[in-house]
Amino acid sequence: MTADQPAPAGQTDAQVRLGLAGWLRWGWRQLTSMRTALVLLFLLALASIPGSLLPQEGINPQAVSQYYAAHPALAPFLGRLSAFNVFGAPWFAAIYLLLFTSLAGCVLPRAFRLARSAGQPPPNAPRHLSRLPHSVRLSTPAGPDEALACASGMLAARRFRTRRGDGWVSAEKGYLHEVGNLVFHIALLGLLASVALGALVGYKGNRLLVAGDTFANSPTGLDVLRPGRLISGGDLQPFSITLDRFTARYVSAGPERGQPAYFGAALRYNTSPGAPMRPYNLQVNHPLIVDGVRVFLIGHGYAPVFKVTDGTGAVVYDQATPFIPLEQAGLTSAGVVKVPDARPEGLGFAGVFLPTAVGVNGRLASAFPAALFPRVSLVSYAGNLGMDGGQPQSVYNLDISRMHQLAVRPVPLAPGQSITLPQGRGKLTFQGYRQWVSLAITYDPGQFPALISAIAALAGLILSFAVRRRRVFIRALQASADDELAAAEPAPHAVVEVAGLTRSDAAGGFEEEFAELVGQLRGALDRVAPASDAPVLVKGE
Amino acid sequence: MDRLARPARRPAAVALAACVTAVAAASCSARVGAANQGFVGAGAASSHYYPAGSRAIAPHVRGRTLTGLPFSLAADRGSVVVLNFWGSWCAPCRREAPALAALARRFPQVRFVGDDVHDSAASAAAFQRAFNVGYPSLNDPGEQVALAFHGTVPPQAIPTTLVIDRSGRIAAVMFGEVSYVGLRAVIETVLRDRVGQAAAGRGWHGAAGA
Repeated sequence: MTADQPAPAGQTDAQVRLGLAGWLRWGWRQLTSMRTALVLLFLLALASIPGSLLPQEGINPQAVSQYYAAHPALAPFLGRLSAFNVFGAPWFAAIYLLLFTSLAGCVLPRAFRLARSAGQPPPNAPRHLSRLPHSVRLSTPAGPDEALACASGMLAARRFRTRRGDGWVSAEKGYLHEVGNLVFHIALLGLLASVALGALVGYKGNRLLVAGDTFANSPTGLDVLRPGRLISGGDLQPFSITLDRFTARYVSAGPERGQPAYFGAALRYNTSPGAPMRPYNLQVNHPLIVDGVRVFLIGHGYAPVFKVTDGTGAVVYDQATPFIPLEQAGLTSAGVVKVPDARPEGLGFAGVFLPTAVGVNGRLASAFPAALFPRVSLVSYAGNLGMDGGQPQSVYNLDISRMHQLAVRPVPLAPGQSITLPQGRGKLTFQGYRQWVSLAITYDPGQFPALISAIAALAGLILSFAVRRRRVFIRALQASADDELAAAEPAPHAVVEVAGLTRSDAAGGFEEEFAELVGQLRGALDRVAPASDAPVLVKGE
Repeated sequence: MDRLARPARRPAAVALAACVTAVAAASCSARVGAANQGFVGAGAASSHYYPAGSRAIAPHVRGRTLTGLPFSLAADRGSVVVLNFWGSWCAPCRREAPALAALARRFPQVRFVGDDVHDSAASAAAFQRAFNVGYPSLNDPGEQVALAFHGTVPPQAIPTTLVIDRSGRIAAVMFGEVSYVGLRAVIETVLRDRVGQAAAGRGWHGAAGA
């Protein structure tokens, strides 16, 4: 963030004369400021609130149309504001595009600056080294040039980047600090780009699949599809999955009775229509990966199989019908059977499936999630199911507004048992049950780059914290007679000033390193000019 | 388990609305999902006509019909084919069914074929009896026929109706419910086409909808 952006000098009177370029520059500076980024982030959070309060088209279109029916005055107004499609709304896009621009506009220039700074040679040595935080003066019998050559060699050996000038050596180390910083910033951009990539060309979908059935990964094969902004239906990877068998095991005794012990879905899949099928055992948290798409097992339930014969004797319904669990402890599940084309009138059934049916105070309940004693209990209706008006319906809801209830004794059905409908309307047979799984299909090509970027960002951050950028300056002067230091020594040829500076010493420890450096320098100078006496430390900090 | 609703499975394609007007465009990328028509209104969606010369070849479609007979689309080369993807559970399919059945009777020279997806043969047969549908439908519960159209003009919603020309190329697509008048106009246009002759720039608007 560019919190350190200097405010334009004399802004108050400059504002009067701001031209177009000035205004643009001012706007850009405002946009890329840290404050703006934070405000945008807050706005993004604020803007997603309606997405959780109001039903959303991409997630539950049925609920949206119900909302339209319940609030005929308010709903069209909200609809115009894209309140039912918040995450696809232009104003939502505006916020995240601005946020993206703000972050990119802040991080990119910083990355360039860091890259430049990482390549720079050490700066000129300051004139007055004694003003720096760490400094000492040494005297040595060696000449100034010799002393500087020696110091420069010593620092280079310690992997300082060195530069020699007239009477001085300047050395710098810890460029990895800048490199780490640069890596962090670039990785941050990478992270943004990865997230954007996922949002643009990724998609998420759900599908409920009954054992024995096959589904195709296509806009029509998925129950719910939330595509990225650049995804069209033809872009989905054309794989198919067949569910052969679903196995659930539960703890059968003890305090954990009824808790799931194992879920496994035996699948077969292929990557394109007609390709050979490959088997896979799908388990919770172990997704199947097809063509880069991850398929997760996220739920399961029962699909009782019903066969309905109408008043003419024709079989008008014969299939497994997914029922949706109402609770997890006993997997009591609710569902409907719709037979719009039965004669003389359409038929509908609504009820529950009880995997392990027990009577509790005269009411039916399920005592265990496995199908130990499966029963269904249904209410029968006849009439118009309201499906011919073209208004799409949920397959889990029966619209009974134009139907009437049939007088059928409410007896729970065991597999193989039937309800005979009154007035020669036919009969329904509960033939047994199959299990279903619900699959979450996610394709996020940005996921892997995002992981790499996040790791790189963390590594860069650690590097930039762990490594200090530090500078050491050395000036050597021919000792003159009036120098108090020279006077004190028998034969000093040069006075050497050593100073150290660190830019970011959050971790501390430069003082010790500096002292060690000075000690080494003293040793090195000693070896160059083994004088009668060792160079003398004169002045500390 | 947020899939309690399976309403207009894949509501209409919103970006396609823009393409309806741009009929001369060689290709049209449809965005699915974010639509807001399909389920609030009456299933009217979008359509696209491909001028001769920019038509994708329909895939090799074969399978068994709901009555168990083998079917191959290639056998219909030389005829104009109307391929309708439907399901007995799908309310817009139920609403468009009378129009399709009537058009099939009006154009005996056009081959009408259904592709019944995500459905059971018993419910589908009851649907065909109820709407007096005279043409066969492929039994495609796993949508393998629909998936075969990947890379050409894949169905974006149920119902989707394709009109395939005499050379086996996809001449038009309608996502969502078709109307009698709209589909009749498309069929007549494709019947007038001469195979291999580029009727460039010709098209129509709004075959779908009431």
